[in-house]
Amino acid sequence: MVSITFIQPDGAAQTVQATLGDSVMQTALNNNIEGIFAECGGAMMCATCHCYIDDKWAEKTGDKSDGEDDMLDCAETEVTDASRLTCQIKVTDALDGLVVRLPSELA
Amino acid sequence: MSKHHLGRGGDDGGNKVMLDIPVNETVTLADLTHDPYPIYKQMRAQTPVVRVAQTNRIFVTTAEHTKWIKENPDIFSSDDPMTPMKPAFQAHTLMRKDGAEHRAERMAMQPSFSPKVIRSDWAALYEKIVNEYVSRLPRGETVDLFSELCGPVAARILAHMLGLEDATDEEMQRWSQRLIDGAGNFGRDPQLFEASDAANVEMNALFEKIAQRHQSEPNNSAFSVMLRAKNPIPLSQMYANIKIAIGGGINEPRDALATIVYGLLTNPDQLEEVKRQEAWMDAFEEGIRWVAPIQVSGRRTTQEIQIGDVVVPKAETVMTIQASANRDEAIFDDGESFNVFREKHPHQSFGSGPHHCAGAQIARRTLGHIMLPLLFDRFPNMQLRNPEDVVWSGFGFRGPLNLPIYLD
Ligand code: HEM
Ligand code: HEM
Ligand code: FES
Repeated sequence: MVSITFIQPDGAAQTVQATLGDSVMQTALNNNIEGIFAECGGAMMCATCHCYIDDKWAEKTGDKSDGEDDMLDCAETEVTDASRLTCQIKVTDALDGLVVRLPSELA
Repeated sequence: MSKHHLGRGGDDGGNKVMLDIPVNETVTLADLTHDPYPIYKQMRAQTPVVRVAQTNRIFVTTAEHTKWIKENPDIFSSDDPMTPMKPAFQAHTLMRKDGAEHRAERMAMQPSFSPKVIRSDWAALYEKIVNEYVSRLPRGETVDLFSELCGPVAARILAHMLGLEDATDEEMQRWSQRLIDGAGNFGRDPQLFEASDAANVEMNALFEKIAQRHQSEPNNSAFSVMLRAKNPIPLSQMYANIKIAIGGGINEPRDALATIVYGLLTNPDQLEEVKRQEAWMDAFEEGIRWVAPIQVSGRRTTQEIQIGDVVVPKAETVMTIQASANRDEAIFDDGESFNVFREKHPHQSFGSGPHHCAGAQIARRTLGHIMLPLLFDRFPNMQLRNPEDVVWSGFGFRGPLNLPIYLD
């Protein structure tokens, strides 16, 4: 089992077990993680599954998908260098312990 | 593939029980246009995957299936060579494409619809437009809000966003209607195609007239963004994209607004609570859940595939009915009624998968953040005196056809 910790903008953390081969987005939905809406179901067409991945995990989560940056530009929440779309990160053994931070809503 | 491939009726041990697709001989397009909801309710309960003989299409009515179909474009393609959309638009548009080609065309336009640009460019403009149009409404009489406000505001806002300020509200709405009538012209009535052809001539003439200006005076409108892209898509596809947005960007917000206003005025307790909590976004989401402006999306099977208990052959048209998914008992308690304060669950009114609505954030911002609060602030005592006079209609696209409101 791979465990992933989701951290809300207010600091609240929730650690859940993820299934290999799922995306981080699916893992979030399966566990009712707040802030991940994933309206397009992982087709990389909505940017409502936006998160931040810290540097120390960035290597393990891998490169962004083709077109992911363009879609991130359409995110409703603040985009930084750490931004990723959770639907584009696949759960592997290497991600055990992964920390995913969630963005706060902009007014 | 997902668990659906095994089907909920099959057992995973290999003895799959697969059934022929049941056929519904009785339901007509007229029934569905008049009031589809009791029909869908019965289908969900008894035949969640069913061939409707009179349309020769397979209807899929549960939330689980409709979402799964839209999220698996390899099995359920949007590319349907037979739709009248092609003659109506004089182009094969992005709505009917799959894969990389679809993405390239869609992303060419998406920056204009991004939240960043909405905030930097459109929000203030919208507020101005909405203010202006709401101020124009007469007081002390009954007004058809549908034709006096919902339609024109949606048209004006979209004109700016696409870079077509030169077009009048009337032109935008007429083009939109003719494109929609043409794209829905399954009977291939030549008059409807003549009307859409004429609209295409007018739109093309406008696009040619303003292209130069969008090059020399760049802004964040869709046309300007597409023209100035690093690797621009062909001009003909830019035109097709803009037409898709004209066809889809007016009626849906118009119908959504009329639906939400109806829902709030016929449920005064909820309206009071919405005002108190400023829960306009919730009212927006509930309105489009309750009556999805786009009720149905068609997909074509690229292979034989099991959906639930039945096997659907290759090259069939399946209609995913998001209108029904939005009231599915498996997800929503008492989904048939309008209830802004119901337990939150995702609806499917913006679709899902690669064709998920490109304008979802725009629609939310313009209607939820700007239009609804402003309208009810200006006319706190609006009255729908005779709700029974409101006529609802539509199978593919649905909403009220009129909204006679007394303005104080
Ligand atoms: C002028 C523009 C458009 C017209 C005239 C139009 C009309 C139609 C029609 C009649 C179909 C049925 C074709 C078929 O499946 O065989 C279709 C598919 C559909 N379109 Fe478009 N559409 C337009 C643009 C859009 C846009 C921008 C949206 C979203 C906002 C949209 C959403 C849908 C949906 C959900 C369907 C469901 C019906 C179906 O697939 O059969 N349409 N369109
Ligand atoms: C409440 C308002 C709206 C609703 C309910 C709505 C709904 C939808 C739905 C259901 C689809 C998916 C069609 C399918 O799966 O085949 C769609 C697609 C689309 N919508 Fe919307 N829409 C709305 C407003 C808008 C606006 C304002 C715009 C334009 C700015 C827009 C532009 C589009 C476009 C371009 C597509 C095609 C996306 C693609 O095929 O990749 N929509 N919309
Ligand atoms: S789920 Fe839509 S972009 Fe990730």
